[in-house]
Amino acid sequence: MSSPAEAALTAAFREEWPRLIAAALRITGDLQAAEDVAQETLVAALDRWPLQGIPDRPGAWLMTVCRNRARNLVRDDSRAQQRIASLRPLLDGAPPSGDQAPEIADDRLRLIAMCCHPLLAADAQVALTLRMVAGLTTQEIARGFHTPAASIAQRIVRAKRTLREHRVEFATQDPDLGPRLAPVLDVIYLIFNEGYLPAASESLTRGDLALEARRLACLLTSLMPAEPDPWALRALLSFQLSRWTTRTGPGGVLLTLDAQDRGRWDRELIRDGVAALERARRGPRGPLLLQAELAACHATAPSFAATDWAAIVALYDELAVLQDTPVVALNRAVAVAMAAGPAAALPALNELVSHPVLAGSHRVWAVRADVNRRAGRTAAALADYDRALELAGNQAERRYLAQARRDAAEAFAEGTLPAGNPE
Amino acid sequence: MTRFLLAGSAGPRGPAGPGGPGGELALAAAAHRVVAAARWYGWLRRWGLLLSFGLARDPVAEVRACLVVLASDDAAAERLAAGWGLVSGYRVAVLALTGPGEDTR
Repeated sequence: MSSPAEAALTAAFREEWPRLIAAALRITGDLQAAEDVAQETLVAALDRWPLQGIPDRPGAWLMTVCRNRARNLVRDDSRAQQRIASLRPLLDGAPPSGDQAPEIADDRLRLIAMCCHPLLAADAQVALTLRMVAGLTTQEIARGFHTPAASIAQRIVRAKRTLREHRVEFATQDPDLGPRLAPVLDVIYLIFNEGYLPAASESLTRGDLALEARRLACLLTSLMPAEPDPWALRALLSFQLSRWTTRTGPGGVLLTLDAQDRGRWDRELIRDGVAALERARRGPRGPLLLQAELAACHATAPSFAATDWAAIVALYDELAVLQDTPVVALNRAVAVAMAAGPAAALPALNELVSHPVLAGSHRVWAVRADVNRRAGRTAAALADYDRALELAGNQAERRYLAQARRDAAEAFAEGTLPAGNPE
Repeated sequence: MTRFLLAGSAGPRGPAGPGGPGGELALAAAAHRVVAAARWYGWLRRWGLLLSFGLARDPVAEVRACLVVLASDDAAAERLAAGWGLVSGYRVAVLALTGPGEDTR
């Protein structure tokens, strides 16, 4: 458990890290060198702050040390003398000439855009963003993704090399964030999903990644307040995280929405989500906004019984027009089962279990098992639970499914549920 | 009491200790180190044991920091050195600056 001083200092380091990387990158022109300089800057703070006291403006102190170190690095490199001359205006703090004026005002945003460069594969974008923007160590990223640290390190090194080989320069080329915003948001959402519901792990949540993703979303909204999509993402992540601690019960068992203690949902995050959603509504009704609206329906419902399922079905209908995917169809079927009864959802689910995208996922089988159970088709439900259990990788979900199957089987044996025909 | 010089050098992975490949610093760990080290120096000061300190100007210098401390004997100085190494991540060398038994008050 960290002290308030430690928490504040960690937050300050997290806040400053991408600024330091960006400042050093601007001077050295090399991502690896920039990372080394930012790292040395932190080490200097570790040396000095405990003895001399934390400066009044820690961010300014770090930035000064970082810039000085970066300048020294460039000056030390005799091969870079010519480069220094070309960078002289920047080193001297003069504003760049008009034709090179950056379109993106904040260096952190430029850094995010650079890390999400289209030249890089999605996994490299994620790893580089977490290292350079979020300041997570290779070890922390590896732990988050259940991937060997060496693989993550290799991914990051390769990404840096790719950017260097393609001369993707920070100081002179300003990435056009307009077309890059969607992949940037995708990367952040990917990080969140990896943290919120890992595909194969013992526990259901890996909070650090999920929290980091929300922090990045908040950073984006502060950097691009006029853009609606970052607000939508922030709202979506805030709503999802608000029930983070209530998603599992004793022994790590998964608790579905109806079983969660709503009194323990994080009201501050819900308020943040509602406020962010308001901002997002100023833009067009895109997929992110619709997902945030859906999350809001759940987060703001006073009880499970009071959930407005008809509104949720309508939102899924709207979403399906923009994203006609089997996952959207599956979620819509769940809402239909709640709004109009299980029988109304079965035709769609019977089609979805054979969809090539979903057939290998436990989720469609788990959903149909539950709907079959509620429709009184117990034999079909048990067969679906078995299939879902075969496919589920997350231990918390496996425990949940096994318990649900036992409950259904016991209820059937006691005669409280009628038998049905398996599909 | 005897004056001792404690010289703190960067460990093989930097002053924050192992942080992963390439000696990366975890930000939370860095914050923890700052707070823990500040608390430790505060303790030294309260007991009047920290006479002075020096810090390397070069952020990548091998010797990062030096303390001049008071300790009753070599063993006590070694204990202080061990404590400093723990909170700072430095490798710490100890050198007696005055003869044993010499009262510096």
